[in-house]
Order: sequence, then structure tokens, then C-alpha cells
Amino acid sequence: MRWVTFLGGLVSVLVAAPGFVAEPVPKEKSAAEAIDVPYRLTDTKHVLVRVKLNGQGPFNFILDTGAPAVFIPNKVAKKIGLKLDDKGWGEFDKFVLEGGLVVEKARTRVEDLFQLEGMNGMGLAGVELHGVIGYNVLAQFRITYDFTADKLQWVQLKDFEPPVVKPIGKGGSGGGLDMMGNVMKMLAGFMGVKPNFEINPTGFLGMEYEEKKDGLYAKVVLKDSPADKGGIAVGDKIEFIGIASIDDRSDIKKALAKATSGDSLKIKVLREKETKVLTIELGKGL
Amino acid sequence: MLRSFLILGLVAGFIPTLPAQDKPTPKPVEKELVVPIELLPSRHFVVLVKLNDKGPYRLILDTGAPLTIINSRIAKDAGLTKKSGGGGGLLGMLGGGLNQIQVAKMQVGDVIADKSGAVVMDHPTVTAISEAFEKESGPIDGIIGFPFFARFAMTVDYQKKEVTFKPNGYKPGDYMQDLMNSMSKLEEKNKPRIIAPAGLWGFTVDKETMDDAEGVTVKTVYAESAAAKGGLKSGDRLLTIDGRWTDTIGDTTLAASLVKPGTAVKVVVKRDGKEVKLTITPTTGN
Repeated sequence: MRWVTFLGGLVSVLVAAPGFVAEPVPKEKSAAEAIDVPYRLTDTKHVLVRVKLNGQGPFNFILDTGAPAVFIPNKVAKKIGLKLDDKGWGEFDKFVLEGGLVVEKARTRVEDLFQLEGMNGMGLAGVELHGVIGYNVLAQFRITYDFTADKLQWVQLKDFEPPVVKPIGKGGSGGGLDMMGNVMKMLAGFMGVKPNFEINPTGFLGMEYEEKKDGLYAKVVLKDSPADKGGIAVGDKIEFIGIASIDDRSDIKKALAKATSGDSLKIKVLREKETKVLTIELGKGL
Repeated sequence: MLRSFLILGLVAGFIPTLPAQDKPTPKPVEKELVVPIELLPSRHFVVLVKLNDKGPYRLILDTGAPLTIINSRIAKDAGLTKKSGGGGGLLGMLGGGLNQIQVAKMQVGDVIADKSGAVVMDHPTVTAISEAFEKESGPIDGIIGFPFFARFAMTVDYQKKEVTFKPNGYKPGDYMQDLMNSMSKLEEKNKPRIIAPAGLWGFTVDKETMDDAEGVTVKTVYAESAAAKGGLKSGDRLLTIDGRWTDTIGDTTLAASLVKPGTAVKVVVKRDGKEVKLTITPTTGN
């Protein structure tokens, strides 16, 4: 039973409005052109977009037709200095989605959703989740989700005022799942998990390569780059990085996947029938 | 219990996914199908679903749901029985509470997905929503989630009250398996995630600790690199790569990780107080 509860929140960020009524959003006319909104899928298969709220952020949001409104946690509301009305709603001065889409007069609930707290506690999504974007914003757009593309398409609906949200009688958001966030945080504690959401870029080499039938060759070596300083020359055949044998692009990707700036690599190259072992200190850059 | 749970999870590898890079699948040319939606007073929306030709049942379509959920009532009605023994060991450990099934034919409106995964579960929030509205319009028996809709380019239009589906060849993968894999490597979540640019750009960026303005500052632009050819200059303030914000070095790397080599993308910089749009095509390299 414990596990059922534990997984319960992961199956869906389904939120029912706990006794509130969303007010209609006054609409401004705008041209119905599609705006590309970059997104990523989280490790938990949630559709993540980034939003700047009142000029701060970006914050990470899940697109959630299973939520009646935008939800942000108290932490974020406090950070951006959001003022709430007596019903617990706030309105952003500025709500800008990555890709440049501006949502006028976007309103939000401020609540610490247990689903997000649980996932954040264990870092399950692979990225910190700050909130969800639900019906009150989603309904203003025609949105195309296609996970073979790297952008979503949002088209502002014209002359359309989404019907307001009606609360479902008895609170209902949790139905016993509310505790899930705490359970997951507690489990995370037991397991020694303190999620780190930082990104550490791989080290920079500065070499363009070319796949040929018999292996991988240095095609361009950027002047003064780590590859150049380490002695790689155009035309070198890259044979080994450390102990990893290099035959193609996927091999070199793998060999460099965990190496960061400052790491030294031994690269074995074949140059004019002579084998050389070069030591290259990876730098910063891309 | 925790320990054996973790150990069992260790048997498979964990592969983080980013949408632009994984599963490049050919797009089959198939026609779009339109499915009407019913907007509940709670502003969740409901679609009519048939399971192995039984039904129709009313389920909530939820972009925030990584799983498709079917309650026990309709699972029984449609003759969907759980796999004996809970599939692979791990699920058995979940106390048999989360029953993974595969529906041979899942049909939403006229849209059919073969062999679509689901779990049988009486989700408390679904039950609460169902109870609130079933007198007027009948019960709600589950959630259509990612395993179904990810297989299509899906367009949601609240104004026309319809969802359009077009098969896109995307393979949603096995969510439960992915989740188990992710949970088995929880200790890795305490470390920053290492991310590699997908191609070679040929520049470096920096950002001072106290600098909280948008963008990052371009430091070195290597001669003859893709960045130099695209017109990037040292001192530029880099704002976006392919529409993605580059407010930190990590975000810059993340944005670059999503641009395949050989793809020309827009790069926006601030130079002398003005926004300048550049086009840069990263090459194959590191």
C-alpha cells in the first residue's frame, strides 16, 4: 500500500480546483500566428516549458491539462513578490514563455503541490519543477504537442474567452494523496538524496571531425583551442581516447560524455603512419 | 525493502532523454483525426475511449499524466486483467497495487493505438471528480496520458472543443521501466548533470557571480569556427540559441545540446545596446 501511495502522485499531476472560482481573463486581440515554444520532456515524461515571471527566472513549468489553472509554490510567489487577493489568486505583471510568447494578465494559484514537491524531493524529473500551467492559460491557445519536434506550437485563439472554472464540491485535490509529497521527501532523506539540479558542461576540445570508412579524422582544429594546444593536427586519425577505442562519432561522444573542463585526456592519434599519444587538457566552451 | 528495491532497479541502464535528439523516427504520412472533447465544469476535459472495443468510457485527457490510468471498474468491464505476477519482479514489489497492463486496442474517438500501456488504478482525484459530476453526465473512469498521446502530433483546441491527432511515429517507451531505472540511480541525482553540446560552435561564454542580467557574455570566438562564420563577436551578450534562453553557462550548454550539427539556428545577441539576430550552423565536433 505504501508503494501505491508513493507512486500515486507520479502517475499524474492531476489537480482539481479546491473550492475556488477562476475569474474570466479579459482578452486582447492579437494575430493568430503560431509561436514556437521550446520544451523538453523531463525524465518523468512531463512536458516542461520555461517561463519568466515578472522578469525573473526562468522557472520550470509542466503543461498540464489536468490542472484548472497555473499553480506556483509559495517559494516562487515570494521570490517574485506576487501579491495575492483574498481568494488566494495572484496576477503576474509579466508572464513570458521561452520562445517569446507573452501571456497577458495570466493569473495563478499559489499552492505547494504535493506532486511537484515529491518529484523535487527525489529529483525524479531530472530538473527542478516550479509549477504547472493549467487550463486558465492553456485554453487561450491552440497548442500542438509533437514530441518528434523540439518546439511546441502555440496559436492565440481569437475572440475566445475560456469558460470559468467551477470548483468541485469537496476540495478534492488530494483524496489521500496529499501526504505523498512528504512521503517522497522523507524517502529521499532515507536514501540520502539531495537532488542537485545544476548543469555541468562537458569539456571543450575545439576539433571538428569527419567520419571515414576506416575511422574518425580531425577535419578542423580551431586555432588556440585545447585540441590545438595539445597538438592535434588536421588529418590525424583519432584511435583512442583514454582506453576507449574510437571508430566513429558515437564513440567519441561516449568517450567525452563525462569529461569536464580541466580534465586531461590521453588521445592516441595516427599521423603519417606514426602513432602519437597526446595529452589534452579540456577547456571551457562549446 | 528499500534496499532490494534499489538493487533490483540497478539491472538496467539509465538514459536521460532530450526531445531533439532521441528517437529520430520517420514520419508516416497519415491523416489527422479529430476527437471532440467535453469540458467538465472543473475544466478538465473528457474524451470517449474504447478499450478492446468495449465502452465507450469517459476519461480525462491529461498532458500532465505520464501514465494512462484505467480504474478497476472499466478494467473489469473491458476484461482487462493484470499480468500475473506483476510482470517483472519489481512491479511485484509494488505490492500488486499498481497493475501494469497493455491494452491491445485503445481507441480515443476514432483514433486507435495498438498495444498501449496503462495501469489499473482507482486514482483518488479521478474518483473525486467523477463523483462531483457523474449525476449530470456519467462517471469518469481514468486518465489518458503520455503513452497514448505521445504517439501523435496532438493539437488541443478549447475553442472548437476538439483535439486533433496525427500519428508521428514517436515511441513513448516504457514509463515504469524508465522510472525504476531513474530511481535506481538516485545517488547520481546528488551530482550536477553533465551535458554536452551536440555540435561544435567555437566560442566560450562567462557570467560573473553577481551578474543577474539576462544572457551570458561571449568571451572567446575561435577564428574560422561556426560561431565566427555566423558573425558572433567577443563582447556580445548572448540571449538565446534557437529560441532557448541562455541566462547561465549551464543553460547555454543545454540549448546547444539540442541543436544537431549541420542545423542552422537563430542566435540572438545584444551588441551595443541593440538586439542582433545571427544564424549559426554548428559543425560535427566537440
